[in-house]
Amino acid sequence: MTLASTKGDRHGADGAPVAVSLRKVGVTYSPIGRPVLEDISFDVREGEFLSIVGPSGCGKTTLLRMLAGLLRPTTGDALFNGAPIIGPSRERAIVFQDYTNALLPWRTVSGNVALALEKTVPVKAERDAKVAALVAKMGLAHAADRFPTQLSGGMQQRVQIARCLSQEPRIMLMDEPFGALDAMTRQTLQDELLALAAERRTTTVFITHDLEEAIYLGDRVTVLSANPGRIAEVIEVDLPRPRNQLTTREDPRFLAHRHHLFGLLQGH
Amino acid sequence: MKLILRLAPPLAFAAALLAIWFVVAELRLVSPVFLPSPGRAFGDLAARFADGSIWEPVGATVQRMILGWFLASLAGVALGAMIGLTPLARDLIEPTLEFLRPLPASAMIPVAILFFGLSENMAVSVIAFGSIWPVLMSSIFGFGAVRVRLQEVAALLGLSRAEFLAKIAIPSAMPDILAGMRSGLAVSLILAVVTEMQASLPGLGRDIFLAQRSFRSGELYAGLVMLGLIGVIINHGLQIAENRLLRWRPQRS
Repeated sequence: MTLASTKGDRHGADGAPVAVSLRKVGVTYSPIGRPVLEDISFDVREGEFLSIVGPSGCGKTTLLRMLAGLLRPTTGDALFNGAPIIGPSRERAIVFQDYTNALLPWRTVSGNVALALEKTVPVKAERDAKVAALVAKMGLAHAADRFPTQLSGGMQQRVQIARCLSQEPRIMLMDEPFGALDAMTRQTLQDELLALAAERRTTTVFITHDLEEAIYLGDRVTVLSANPGRIAEVIEVDLPRPRNQLTTREDPRFLAHRHHLFGLLQGH
Repeated sequence: MKLILRLAPPLAFAAALLAIWFVVAELRLVSPVFLPSPGRAFGDLAARFADGSIWEPVGATVQRMILGWFLASLAGVALGAMIGLTPLARDLIEPTLEFLRPLPASAMIPVAILFFGLSENMAVSVIAFGSIWPVLMSSIFGFGAVRVRLQEVAALLGLSRAEFLAKIAIPSAMPDILAGMRSGLAVSLILAVVTEMQASLPGLGRDIFLAQRSFRSGELYAGLVMLGLIGVIINHGLQIAENRLLRWRPQRS
């Protein structure tokens, strides 16, 4: 996989527009400590669904937090639409794994979604309509007035996704969003997410430790190795869309990718 | 019916205590100069309700207590937010607080009298000094415990400092703030009574004090019962407000 592209260029080597480009990025938390991430270079193409997979402790979350602007790279350049990422921005939404902590427990489902819109949509009627539409879209219409503690994990995560969608981001950064959910709920949410991504064409970076999830969702999968986190490989997922929980997962190409990535992760 | 069943045991307990009081007083185990019969205490209270003379001291005491408590709560939450949210303020202010906190509020009465004279301001400042501590301490804790995740959400959504306070920090600290305010209210009632006794300000505290000095024990106990009633009523009101404000919390079973 070629990753060449000069700094500031908004197009990758293959000519596709680039949303994010990382050049030799390294992150070290303490001046004397070991680096968490080292020599990370890759592009995220405009509108693509990029999965990042790696063993625990490989710095996946650090990478995502850096993309969100919650921390700065120690070395190298991180660019979003050609400009350095220097802090958080509404253009880059992040979906945290711990939805319980990321929601406001004193606000209802609608109130949580509205939080992202109170600044940008000051007219209440207009905002309420937007909120209601998003809440309905995420299948939460019946729970609009409930508080997060009254919802299941899957529904709470749907609320967080709705809040992120409401800020109309250019890119969605998702940090193992379905990691804490049961298998059935996870599959449902995977398919809902794919439908949303197909409809909105929002660039998505999706972090997971689940190989199959990475392949099932992604246009490409970036594999990180641990200690320090480096890119082991980037693969193109040549599976047709829309994907299907049964047929996609039984596709020989899916199994081949799985086989390949499994070996890669075991090897490190 | 359910309500009656739930209220029956505590009411029975209170009735038993009253009965003991009645027996002790009727058998003159304690001189009536010190302990009137419950009938006399409640009779005196009823008489003061009947002629309306109870309302003036009750009003004065409650007003003083609420004003002091309100000022203390306001200052306590503001100071608590500062200390809880900014490490610099914590390092700067907390050592001084640790020195001031153990000072008994009643020891501040002479100081307050020097500054304000035997006035309403003196009483309110002493009440505020004493009742700020619970709300301040729990506010510091509450604001310090605002989840990191929510601070990140605020940063990602570009919330201003004021919006962060109003939409995230204050609601997040609200359970602690309210718990502190409830403890502060109990302190403010105590100090309202103490300052009235010390400075002879009109109110239930002075009435009780004067009743004791002139051996009107019925009136003395009537005043005590009234103070108890005030505490119960205000605490109950706060509990209702708390349940409303915190209705998002899972019901404790």
